[in-house]
Amino acid sequence: MATTLGPTGAPPPPPLTPKTSTEPSSYDHLRSARLELARHESPRRRALRLGLVLIALAVLVKGWLVTDIDLGKLSNASNAAPILKALVQPDVLSRDVLPLELQEPFIVGAGSSGPAVVSTPAGQTLRITPGSGTPGQTVVFEGSGFEPDADGQLRLLNPSRGVDVLFTRLHTDRNGSFREERVWPDFATLPPDIYQFKLVINALTGSPHLSETFLSSLGRMGETILLALMGTVFGVLFSVPLSFLGARNLMGTSPVGLALYAFVRLFFTITRSIEVLIVGLITVVIVGIGSYAGVLALVIHSIGSLGKLFSEVIENIEPGPIEAITATGANRFQTVLYGVIPQIVPAFLAVTIYWWDHNLRMSTVIGLVGGGGIGFLLIQYMNLLQYNQAATVLWLIVIAVTAMDYASAAIRARLI
Amino acid sequence: MLVIEHLVKDYAGGVRALDDVSLEVRDGEFVVLIGLSGSGKSTLLRCINRLVEPTAGRIVLDDVDITAARGDGLRRVRRRIGMIFQQFNLVKRSTVLTNVLTGRLGYVSQWQSLLAHWSEDDYRRALVNIERVGLRERTHQRADRLSGGQQQRVAIARALMQEPKIMLADEPVASLDPATSHSVLQYLQQINGEGMTVICSLHFLSLARTYGTRVIALKGGRLMFDGKPSEIDQRRFQEIYGDDAVEVEIE
Repeated sequence: MATTLGPTGAPPPPPLTPKTSTEPSSYDHLRSARLELARHESPRRRALRLGLVLIALAVLVKGWLVTDIDLGKLSNASNAAPILKALVQPDVLSRDVLPLELQEPFIVGAGSSGPAVVSTPAGQTLRITPGSGTPGQTVVFEGSGFEPDADGQLRLLNPSRGVDVLFTRLHTDRNGSFREERVWPDFATLPPDIYQFKLVINALTGSPHLSETFLSSLGRMGETILLALMGTVFGVLFSVPLSFLGARNLMGTSPVGLALYAFVRLFFTITRSIEVLIVGLITVVIVGIGSYAGVLALVIHSIGSLGKLFSEVIENIEPGPIEAITATGANRFQTVLYGVIPQIVPAFLAVTIYWWDHNLRMSTVIGLVGGGGIGFLLIQYMNLLQYNQAATVLWLIVIAVTAMDYASAAIRARLI
Repeated sequence: MLVIEHLVKDYAGGVRALDDVSLEVRDGEFVVLIGLSGSGKSTLLRCINRLVEPTAGRIVLDDVDITAARGDGLRRVRRRIGMIFQQFNLVKRSTVLTNVLTGRLGYVSQWQSLLAHWSEDDYRRALVNIERVGLRERTHQRADRLSGGQQQRVAIARALMQEPKIMLADEPVASLDPATSHSVLQYLQQINGEGMTVICSLHFLSLARTYGTRVIALKGGRLMFDGKPSEIDQRRFQEIYGDDAVEVEIE
């Protein structure tokens, strides 16, 4: 049955648009408007489109193969566990260690006897049950009243025999107690005699203070920030004068100017295209490992990028004031001085601060190629597998870069 | 006296903006340029101070050939011709005082301008001209804090710093509301009353009738009409603006 809209017999609703002489043709007879529209596309164009899609697909497949992408290998993620674990335990705070010693004689070779007990006046007790040992016998070492969660060792001494060995390592529990059981070795290992058991517990003492690692990393971070600053300052000094030559609206008025403009822009592009780390490889060869090489690398790389950014600022200024100042009879130099510079100063400052922020990120890695800064420290810790120390460095980088990013954005928002 | 002889300007791309325009402007006239957008008003004004380089023809101001001026000569010519613009063209981030002092750049040396070392005389002139356009309290404010009409008055003060003989005005009130438009034009009228020649392009014929002592109409780069404002009747109006045009009054 056909569906009807509204009660039967009701008059049809009036058309929304009045009929005019240029009535649009009706496409009601079409099965698919999409096909109808596609019909007008030329076969060449369609083939071209298909070809481009196929080429793009082929490039992606080739890329997948060339870069050895292998999702299965991601299951080895657990290899990174020590590093990841260290990330949550950066070496920031440390406490001083005060060793506590308890000594107790122990007879080897004698029969069963009562426990040997020794205590400090403060109530820290070492109990060895029994107080003598024969091969194959189980000896229990118990301690209580110590610092909770402290590391210690039990050493076995006999000065006349020249024996001073680590018998066992131990760790106190939350209550400051420990319990260790050992089966006594044979006489070939320890001939019968009177020995001394020496317990050394490394109690942490005093309040936590900043670790050596943290303080030295902090110093390196300061050096890194200054490295970035020097790279930026000298980059700005060189790129500002060049940026005027690289601005089309200032240089485009004569053929000589246009040629100079093209040359400067090419220079910018070339210096910009070589990444900081690569420039660093070269500067390290020239001036040796250290921050100076890093500064040089940043300066060379910054000239191109800053020059381009500055030139674009100049190209975006309002032409009106320049026209008006030219009309007063000012010469070209005066026109730039009074018409261009007041317009660009805030944007130039904003670009400079942004670039300092960018250079800070760069200078955290320039140390990897010997360019000084905190990256140098990071690569050392990583090579020595000191992941907790490396984590300290990583967190410092994250904090400094984030803070700089935030500060630079806030300052730039005020400038523009 | 300003004499323009057979002035032609062709822009790149073959657009002829001015086509053999000749006219003379006597000292002390208030000439209003009218015509449709693209009729060549702006180009004509900009040729007079060589912001636009004429293709052919000659412009002579008091026996000095402007079209032949080069280097320092062009600088000397330009400083005798003040100009104000539709968009005011102030340096927005600079103060009113700095913008006004900029009008003296044609007189000071490169070194003086580099060190912003203005003379006592320059400061005195700036004070007088800022006072004159009624912006004494705004002297140290940034130009972009001012209203449109106030900015245009700063632009007038800047042009007056040049001690010009002629004042060019390119649509000076096209970005302003009617009341402010009158205020700005009254300043121009006052300057004109003190003997300065004013050449001003305007969109509204009613303003041209109120302020102009002479009206010059351009159409398609050619001189269409040159006469008294009262001589523009309905027929002439439609010749200048086209048959579909209807005159709109500004109060």
